[in-house]
Amino acid sequence: MAELIALYICGVIALFAALRCLIEKDTYLKLPYLNVMNFAVAGIIVLVLNHPLSLLAAVAYFVGSTLEANAIASAKAGGVQND
Amino acid sequence: MLADYEQVLIAAVICWLLFVTIDVLFRLPEKGGVSGASAIGKKIEADGGDLHGGYMMGNIVSSPDASAGTLLAACGVYVAGLPGGLAAAVLVYIGNRICHDPGYAGTTGAVLASLMVAGLAGIGFAPENFIAGMVIAILTIQGLSHRYASRLLGSLWGWRS
Repeated sequence: MAELIALYICGVIALFAALRCLIEKDTYLKLPYLNVMNFAVAGIIVLVLNHPLSLLAAVAYFVGSTLEANAIASAKAGGVQND
Repeated sequence: MLADYEQVLIAAVICWLLFVTIDVLFRLPEKGGVSGASAIGKKIEADGGDLHGGYMMGNIVSSPDASAGTLLAACGVYVAGLPGGLAAAVLVYIGNRICHDPGYAGTTGAVLASLMVAGLAGIGFAPENFIAGMVIAILTIQGLSHRYASRLLGSLWGWRS
């Protein structure tokens, strides 16, 4: 039962963040909403399938999506020469 | 034994305090770790927010920090108990290194969160409620109002520096 409540909370927040991400026009300001969606989806992956390997799947998804957000923002900001 | 929704709310407050404290202590609001994080901070400031709060939000977007560490540690404890949480800390450290980040904040957050979630599981808190709680906590920072969240983080950074 507790899993279902947590799953519904993560699902609603993922949908809310995805909608705000779609509505927002500026690329830089989309990324924090996308970040919230990634948190919720990583939680959903583990809550849907309670198995030790789900942790690997959630970490792989989360780190991969974070790296993509990093790449989008940094490429738009002009790449590594600004670091 | 508290009801589930009460546990989720308490977990959200505890997770919020844990990850914001660790991120501010590890100086995430000081500057953007990569050029993309700096650009997000400057854009949030241009929209009426706070620059240092914006840098912290940019850093959370660009690399797994203490908030990601807390979420993945709660996931680890949910699937495999305390060893699962510590395994999540190792994976978060690897993720930090991939994302051009020294990895102190994320790894510290994951280790402390695994100990916290495993400890509170002993007195009746379900680990899955910490997963939902952490998702609510990150929603309040990144997903509701960038302007006011960055001002709040900026004032916390003002006390730290």
